[in-house]
Amino acid sequence: MVESAGAALVIQGLAKRYGQRVALDGLDLRVPTGVVYGFLGPNGAGKTTTMRILTGLIHPDAGAVEMLGRPFGRRDRHRLFEVGALIESPSFYPFLNGRENLRALAAAGAPVPKTRVDEVLTLVNLRDRAGDKVSGYSLGMKQRLGIASALLSEPKLLLLDEPANGLDPAGIVGMRDTLKALAAEGRTVLVSSHILSEVEQLADVVGIIARGKLVREGPIDSLLHEEGAVRVRVSPDEVPVAGPALEALAGASNVSIDATAPAGWLVVRFDPSRAGELNRALAAAGVYASRIEGGTTLESLFLEVTGSTPDVGRTGVAGMGVPS
Amino acid sequence: MRLFRSGIRKLVRRPATYVTFLLLAGLVLLILLAVTAAANQATEPESAVASKLFLTFPGAWALILTVVIGIGGLLAVTYGAAIAGSEWAWGTLKAAIARGESRWRYATAGFAAVVVVTWVGMLLCYAVGIIAAIVGANLTGTSLAGLGDTSQLAEMPGLMARAGLALAMEASIGFAIATIARSQLAGIGVGIGVYFAEGIASVFVPGIIRWFPFAAANAMLSGTSGARVAGGGGGAALASSTGRLDTDVAIVVVLAWLVGAMLVAALWTERAEISG
Repeated sequence: MVESAGAALVIQGLAKRYGQRVALDGLDLRVPTGVVYGFLGPNGAGKTTTMRILTGLIHPDAGAVEMLGRPFGRRDRHRLFEVGALIESPSFYPFLNGRENLRALAAAGAPVPKTRVDEVLTLVNLRDRAGDKVSGYSLGMKQRLGIASALLSEPKLLLLDEPANGLDPAGIVGMRDTLKALAAEGRTVLVSSHILSEVEQLADVVGIIARGKLVREGPIDSLLHEEGAVRVRVSPDEVPVAGPALEALAGASNVSIDATAPAGWLVVRFDPSRAGELNRALAAAGVYASRIEGGTTLESLFLEVTGSTPDVGRTGVAGMGVPS
Repeated sequence: MRLFRSGIRKLVRRPATYVTFLLLAGLVLLILLAVTAAANQATEPESAVASKLFLTFPGAWALILTVVIGIGGLLAVTYGAAIAGSEWAWGTLKAAIARGESRWRYATAGFAAVVVVTWVGMLLCYAVGIIAAIVGANLTGTSLAGLGDTSQLAEMPGLMARAGLALAMEASIGFAIATIARSQLAGIGVGIGVYFAEGIASVFVPGIIRWFPFAAANAMLSGTSGARVAGGGGGAALASSTGRLDTDVAIVVVLAWLVGAMLVAALWTERAEISG
């Protein structure tokens, strides 16, 4: 039995293999009720496998899932009546129009009032094109229709895989506002996305997974605060002086040379809002920093905890510090 | 029931439904046109009589149905495969399951809709065939006196029921193959392959093939009507052989194939890991 008080979704020890390949290796997640939860991980980390398990498309080898306060297993498909999902790319009949597709989908699973179809079409700003065949829709319009289909049953828990995929800027803003409004109503939204800046704006809580395991989870603000780091650039020959000066302020274990950047970059685990103190300490030691970059973004946190490195367009200092 | 109604609505809007129907109706018309032309041009009385078989009632009632079912059997296989395969290929099955729908119920309701639409298509094509035969009879000066033959008409409901059962079974074969293959094209390809393979194999091992789906379906229909026109599958070679199953046995065999194919499709859908 998993501990689910106050949580819309609790996952414990979820494991899944595809032949020899381990997709999930004891994944734990806890998604509080009434939040937007950003579910992050590099390609192949197990996000989609998790989403598929949560929607009953595949079954785990081990582990437990508790959804909306009740266990969810192979025989608990009715639990999905309270869940809306958009998994991978949206799936529709190309020969039907948008409205007919939603009606066809509404015939499966939880009963849906007839008026609900037009409500969700209005919500995703697709009502004007609802009479057009889906085969003529753009990627963004299909995505909007996919979000509409996920909202059909007024779900208490919404599972969205890359919901911003293909949306134009107005669509992204609209989606963000809609999801935040749903969370404000007490519904829970789990969003899997690769667009970290989007998740940073949207999510209250994030969970980052790598190699099928949870590596970090918590409210986004406190995670970024706890993981705070400041990068300092000094002349390479001044590193022997700058290092001890920074260690005296931040602690010896919190200062390191940024091995991924050109010589002269130091990383200090320190509250970014106090970066000025670092500058003062350096000046007191007679060292003048040529650059100080404060704060951890979700992107840098993601790359750090997942052990990922940027693999295209690396520009050294301007990127994550990998020498070009 | 919601699923079934929705399935019907989807099929009615689907281009594959109209293409299949028009193809069958067109082929039936073409055959009757050829028969009418042959009857008109026949110089010898014997060949004229043979050509007019399709235009002469009451025998034409059963003969035309056999033609519809013969060609329709192959189309039913491809139609069943197209509908089942597209649910996997387009991801619409996945979307329904993610809404909490029962997998086997979804598959079964979808198949039930396919059967109903197939039956409607069969009836319409049969009507087209009968009208074309009446027109052909008029053009060739063939008497229509047997059109209202009561004994033949009394036999028709039973024959139609058997024809419907045959088409349902054939559609279920395509449906099951496409469900296992998770693909429309693979389902259609394999379905057609099985249909013709059965026909070819029936030449070499008729004793075994007569138990196969298409041969059994043909035996079920031919036995009742007395007609000797088999549409395909094993029936083509077995039509004139004495190895064909008795009608009652054939009905049981066809039912067994229908139930078996649907069980396979439902179980496969129920157990499948949907990861694509």
